Order: sequence, then C-alpha cells, then structure tokens
Amino acid sequence: MKLLPWDYGVRNLLRAPGRTALGAGGVALVTALLVTAAAFVRGMNGSLAETGGLRNVILLGAGSEDSVERSEVKAGVAGIVAASVPGIEERLGVPYVSPEINVALVVNVDGQERQASFRGVTDAAYLVHPQVRIVEGRAPRAGELLVGRFAAARLDVPDERLAVGRSVDIDGRPWTIAGRFEAPGTVLDAEIWCDAQELRVATRRETLSGIVLTLADDAQTDDLDLFTKQRLDLELVALPERGYYARLHDFLAPVRAMVWTTALLVAGAALLGGIDTMHASFAARIRELATLRALGFANGAIALSLVQEALLTAALGALVGAACVLPLDGLAVRVSMGAFGLRVDGTALALGLGAACGVGLLGSLPAAWRCLRMELVAALRAD
Amino acid sequence: MSALVECRGLTRVYHKGDQEIRPLDELDLDVDEGTFTALMGPSGSGKTTLLNLVAGIDRATSGTLRVEGVELGALSNTELARWRAHTIGYVFQLYHLVPVLTAYENVELPLLLRDDTRRERHRKVAAALELVGLADRHDHFPRQLSGGQEQRVALARAIVTDPRIIVADEPTGDLDAAAADAILDLLGALRRELGKTLLMVTHDPRAAAHADRVIHLEKGRIVAAAAATS
Ligand SMILES: Nc1ncnc2c1ncn2[C@@H]1O[C@H](COP(=O)(O)OP(=O)(O)OP(=O)(O)O)[C@@H](O)[C@H]1O
Ligand SMILES: [Mg+2]
Repeated sequence: MKLLPWDYGVRNLLRAPGRTALGAGGVALVTALLVTAAAFVRGMNGSLAETGGLRNVILLGAGSEDSVERSEVKAGVAGIVAASVPGIEERLGVPYVSPEINVALVVNVDGQERQASFRGVTDAAYLVHPQVRIVEGRAPRAGELLVGRFAAARLDVPDERLAVGRSVDIDGRPWTIAGRFEAPGTVLDAEIWCDAQELRVATRRETLSGIVLTLADDAQTDDLDLFTKQRLDLELVALPERGYYARLHDFLAPVRAMVWTTALLVAGAALLGGIDTMHASFAARIRELATLRALGFANGAIALSLVQEALLTAALGALVGAACVLPLDGLAVRVSMGAFGLRVDGTALALGLGAACGVGLLGSLPAAWRCLRMELVAALRAD
Repeated sequence: MSALVECRGLTRVYHKGDQEIRPLDELDLDVDEGTFTALMGPSGSGKTTLLNLVAGIDRATSGTLRVEGVELGALSNTELARWRAHTIGYVFQLYHLVPVLTAYENVELPLLLRDDTRRERHRKVAAALELVGLADRHDHFPRQLSGGQEQRVALARAIVTDPRIIVADEPTGDLDAAAADAILDLLGALRRELGKTLLMVTHDPRAAAHADRVIHLEKGRIVAAAAATS
C-alpha cells in the first residue's frame, strides 16, 4: 500500500489550529485525570506495600491480627523476646526489638478536634524502621512529638501548623513538636511519634500494641513461631510486617475501585466526545479525502494518515496534561485511614500517555471509517 | 479492432429519497484509442456521470463498460483504485486540489502511488507544470492561485503520470480565451504527439471545435454525434 506523505497530516493539524488546540486540550485533561488517578492508587498501594521491612516481624496480641490498634501486649514482653528469641538482628549489643503503641487520638489544634495516628516508640523504633529519617529537630523527649511529613495533611491543618517549636493539645495538655521526619512511600509518613512511656501514661493504658522486630539476615521465622507456641501465656501471634500491611491493602480495594471507575467513566466520555470531534474535523474535508481516493490512494492509506493526525494531537495533549500534573508528585492526600503522597512515577505517566494515545486511536478510527465508506462520487460532490 | 472504451446499455440510477434519478440511460458509446472526444449537453444531462464511470470512480447500475478490454464492473474496489491510478488522468470540474499541499505537491500526489524515485518524480512534476505554463508556481498553495491557475494545476496532476486516457470536466471553464486556447492546444498535442485518448466535457463550442468528435447528451442519452468540423 502506498502511503500519503507524513507531513500531510501535520499540515492538516496546522490548517485548523483552533480545532487542534481544542482536541489536544481535551486529551490533556483526560491525561491529567488518569495520571492523577494512577498516582493516587500507586501512592496508596506503595505506602502499604513498602511500609513493612522485609525482615521485620510484628508481634501482636493473639486474636488482633487485623488491627494493631486493637492489639494488646503486656509491657514486659519486649524484654522477654529480646532475651529468648534467637536470630534477632543487633547492633553494638542493642537488639532490634521495638515495643510500640499504636493508637488513634483526638488532638486539639487551636480549638479544632482532629483525629491523628500516634505511635509511641523507644529508641529501638529507629532501628527497625530504617526508612524513618529525622529531617528537622530531634527525637522526642517527655511531652514532645515527632511529626511525619504528611501528619499535617492527616490532621487537615496547614503544614506550618506542625512546625518545630509549635504545640498541640492532647487531653488538655500541650505537647511540643520537637522534630519532623520523613519515611518516603510508607504509611509512617502520616503518623505522629512520641515516647512510648509518655503515651502509655497519657492514654492510661497498661499494655503495648505490639512489638516490631528485625530478624538477622539468615534467620527464619521458625524460631519466633516456636517461641509464640511455647509461651502461650504471652498470647502472641507473629506476622511478617509486609503481610500485615498487605492485608490493609485489601481493605482499601473499594477505594481503588471507585477511583478507577471514575477515571474510566471520564475517559469513556472523553472517547465518545473525541470520536465526534474527529468526525466533524474529517467530515469538513470529505471532498478532499474523496479526491485522494479518486486518485487511487487506498482507504487504508488515507485512514492511516487520519489516525496519524489524531495520534499527533493526542500525544501533544498527553504531554501537556502529564506536564501539568508532574508537580503533584509527593503531594499529600488525606484518606480516612491516614495520608500518603501522590506518586507521579513512570508507571502512572505511561498509563496516562498510553490511554491518551488509545483515545486518539479509538476515536479516530470510527470517524475515519464513517468518512471513507461514503460513496466516492457522492463524497466528491459534497460541500 | 475493438474500441478503447466500450459502453453498452450503460445506465446509472441514483436514489434521492423515493425519487429515482437516471443521469445515464441505456447509453451505447465507443471511443477509439488516440481520439479526442468532446461531450456537450445541458446541465444535468449526465456528462460528469459518464466521465466518472469511464474513469472508474463510479460504478454503473446496469450495462457494461469495457476500457482497454477490462470489464470495470468486475473489478473489486481495490483493483479499480489501482487500475485508475495507472490508466486515467482526471481533471475534475471543481479542480479538487488538496489545500494543504503546494502546486508541486498536488501534482506529485498521483506519482506517490507508483515506484518512481524522488528524482524521477521531480523531473515529471517539473515537466508537467512547465507544460501548463506554471513553472514559476511550484511553491504556491491553491489559495494563492487564481481559478485559472488552479485549473491548470489540476490538468498537470492529470497528465503527470502519463496516463493512457485523460478525462477532463470543463478544463477551460475558468480560463480566458487565450489561456483556454493554450490548454486546448496542449490537449490536442497530447493526442497528436503522444497518442493519448481524450474525453472532455465542455459547454463551449469553441473548445469542442478542438475535438475530433462531438457527442451531445440529453437526459442521459446521446442525441447527436458528429465529427467536428475543424
Ligand atoms: N451522487 C449523486 N447522487 C444523486 N444524484 C446525482 C449524483 N450525481 C449526479 N446526480 C444527478 O444526476 C444528474 C446528472 O448529473 P451530472 O453531474 O452527470 O450532470 P452534468 O451533465 O455533469 O451537469 P453539469 O453540466 O451541471 O456539470 C443531475 O440531476 C444530478 O443531480
Ligand atoms: Mg458536470
């Protein structure tokens, strides 16, 4: 099949710059939306998938496997575990065993009551959660807090409100922010950390929520399983930390489904609109297309040129749309369970760009077909 | 020897709603190779319809049409498209130039359907534009040309492939007397020197006088055929 010159399509785009800009603008909107949806889902999934350390195990109270916030573990257990379970990572004689309290608390920020995720920790927490990096200030002491970079988003307050040196009230008592941390791509980012002992006092609880520990390189979970079975009195259950957060991932399936459904509906509507726009643009040239057919160009060659035009427009729009949402990377998003950062990465961009080109292709083919199947002499006489 | 173009009982029927239009009605016509035939007749008498059929861009409702011994009705759409790209040069009544292409590119278009190299194409396009007197208009877009110049570009596009048959729908309609004479002389020369077969629709008796034969159509039938006097 002999093809039309490549730049015939390009020149046609320039012939009606207004129409081309409008088409590209529509595609840009769809791309922006799809990339954002993908960045949302990827940010959410990623934060759950990457929170758990690969060699981390979380010990919870038996029967509370689904929620660390409901779990209760006796206060002294961390010491027993450190002393009796073999194969735990250590550095300079300090075992990687982190007793933690996870609790959702109401925080009073300038008279506004807000729900926040707290984690009461000891120094060992920084060993078992190496993603956590204090970027400003220092670790909290008595009456102090360490806030994650998305904690403000979780509380729905401006970021400056949780700056180092400011304070918030918990149960009528002021706590000062001593530092800020980031733990990119994890749910920890949305948390507020403080001293475990302080938090126990403040919440008047006797127990821990759980114990996170890191196994040495070659260690197996068998020893831990054996330990939990031998010490039934401690009522513990051991879960790989990754597995725990992966379960949370399943609970969020409806949120993901909703995001995707919305994105697909919008993309579908855009596709229908695109078919119509492209048909109008091709139909305006029906006589010219008929001339090409009369000269002997195959319908396939003409359709290819039209599809090429549409794909160029779509690609232009997709690039603009993608460029517009690129700055959203890392933007904090609040959802009911916490907060996470949008992840505008290669996959999200590829998805948006691919979908945009799909719109161009699927939109232009039926439009081209409608114009080209018309009887040749009738098309030549069209005005 | 049989004629180059042979129409037997050629009929074309269009349907507009429940109305039936019959621009060609049981037409019999032979056109010999290397002749110049003028088609005349009132508006709506079926002249363009006949050209379209002979050029293979339309299909007869009934009757047979044989060109170069090929039964056009028996070809598939793809075969027909390839056939006309190689056999026919068509000067459309409304020129039908592609607006985004320059005069040069418009004339080059039918050559893209062949295996010519870029150089061969350049030589042929330049020669065709030279023949119609537009050697200095290569880079002009159709909107930058006058009606008469557009018509001449359309003629150049029709002859650039060196087709055996040239059909022209009022190729001098928008030209002044001098330019029209130049084009008609060119058509005459194509027949005389290259043995082309020409079929031309015209309303102008002076243009028809350049042909060897004039056929009058009325309501889709031939009402008179005469050898031209000149
Ligand atoms: N595709 C079509 N659909 C419907 N009617 C058509 C079609 N093509 C031609 N006709 C009708 O057929 C008749 C003959 O048309 P045609 O174009 O052959 O006339 P013509 O002799 O070339 O006229 P003119 O001198 O005005 O160009 C006209 O009545 C026209 O309206
Ligand atoms: Mg006509």
